[in-house]
Amino acid sequence: MEDKEGTTQQTGISRRQLVAGFGGIALGAAFAAPIVQMFILPDDVIAFAASEGYLLVDRKKCQGCNTCMMACSLAHHGVQSLSLARIQVTQDPFAAFPNDRQIDQCRQCPGAPCVSVCPTGANHIDAGNGNVRTIDRRKCIGCQACVAACPFNLSRAIWNGDEKHAQKCDLCADTPFWDKPVGEQACRAVCPTGAISFTEEIPIQTDAGYEVNLRGENWAALGFPID
Amino acid sequence: MGGETWIDAATWLVWLAPAAGVFAAAFTRRRDPAIEGDRVLRHDLAARVEHWTHGIGTAALLVSGVVLGLRFGPSLARSGENAQVWMNLHFVAIIPFLFGTFYYAANTVLSWHRFSEHLPTRNAFAFTKQHYGKLLGFKFDMPPEDKYFESEKMAYLMALAATLMIVLTGLLKVAAHVVDLPGWLMGSATLVHDISTAVMLVFFLAHVFFAAILPASWPIFASMFHGYVTREQAEHEHAGWYMRLSAAAPPPGRDTEEPA
Repeated sequence: MEDKEGTTQQTGISRRQLVAGFGGIALGAAFAAPIVQMFILPDDVIAFAASEGYLLVDRKKCQGCNTCMMACSLAHHGVQSLSLARIQVTQDPFAAFPNDRQIDQCRQCPGAPCVSVCPTGANHIDAGNGNVRTIDRRKCIGCQACVAACPFNLSRAIWNGDEKHAQKCDLCADTPFWDKPVGEQACRAVCPTGAISFTEEIPIQTDAGYEVNLRGENWAALGFPID
Repeated sequence: MGGETWIDAATWLVWLAPAAGVFAAAFTRRRDPAIEGDRVLRHDLAARVEHWTHGIGTAALLVSGVVLGLRFGPSLARSGENAQVWMNLHFVAIIPFLFGTFYYAANTVLSWHRFSEHLPTRNAFAFTKQHYGKLLGFKFDMPPEDKYFESEKMAYLMALAATLMIVLTGLLKVAAHVVDLPGWLMGSATLVHDISTAVMLVFFLAHVFFAAILPASWPIFASMFHGYVTREQAEHEHAGWYMRLSAAAPPPGRDTEEPA
């Protein structure tokens, strides 16, 4: 029962004291949290599970047709858009073969810097889909930290300006516009020359990237180099 | 661009600000409006602190939030580095906003009558029609408005709802930096946050125009700095409020303490 002063007669606690109590506890917790984190909790050791799939490319086989890019955007977004493709083929008309073409596919990095920097966990390791590094667009707040964190040029995490979120290659784990066969990737399926391949074994991590030789005797029969 | 955002480097500040607001309210002694000679105390120090911390925080949050981009509007931050700068500014603005909002909320818990005088009465539409009809040149008498105009009270409801939604969803979004929350929840929270932002922006622009830019409001605007309006201003613009104060006037110079 409260009297006019708002004091409970049984406990003798006023509203003001209650407010002071709640505020004080919250204040103490807010001050204590960083102290606990800094001195009491052990240092975080974060280890990312390795991806169970990687795209391998052979730029010497790539004809620059951009079909992989179109297929990627079609499978994920239902539109043909070079800007929305999560695999990018860049061409330099002034450079000599084989440097006139570059295939920029996500390497599914073991250390995954794009996952590390994401403040909301939107960019995460999807354990249900072979540990692919992928972005949950619902959680993305558009800080573009992942785009900047990717150590490669071009960044493998790209910005979707239409829908305002980051996105990246998810090895076609989520393709709303393609009822795909299990384990199939759109870019690999459509490449007319077979310049894109897939492996479950983690490639050797070098600056050369995931370049492999996918050219065989049939390619040589066409008169193209296979070395 | 490198390193974590400020919000990740100092998330604890986001929780400290509202706690500090509540704690400060517990030690705040309010002064009720009162007639003091030729002037009337309209806003005590606590009211001014609440208003300016919340208001300046809101302004900075609106600017940085709009730059970062709403789900249904363009983002003006063109690069990752630019986006991070604005995210840091958004974080800086959160601190005074949350302090002011929770300081106000806790003060309201302690002085409930102050909240009720913000709520529209049954005269809301009639008084508003008379008031603004007179301003527009129609033959109406100035209604006996209270401390806050009925139109302001109605706008207050909009601001209150928007603030509540922004704070709830905003704290959820901050929590998502630390705790893994479901995607459907975060997607919904972001949408509600953005819609509430749009509502708050409308209120904010109207509030700034009517409270600060309109010349007729300049005396009232000044009271948000020093706390006082002239007796004449109170008698003419807020006749209902002035009558209340006159009827309840204690001896001059005495502070009224709020019941605990």
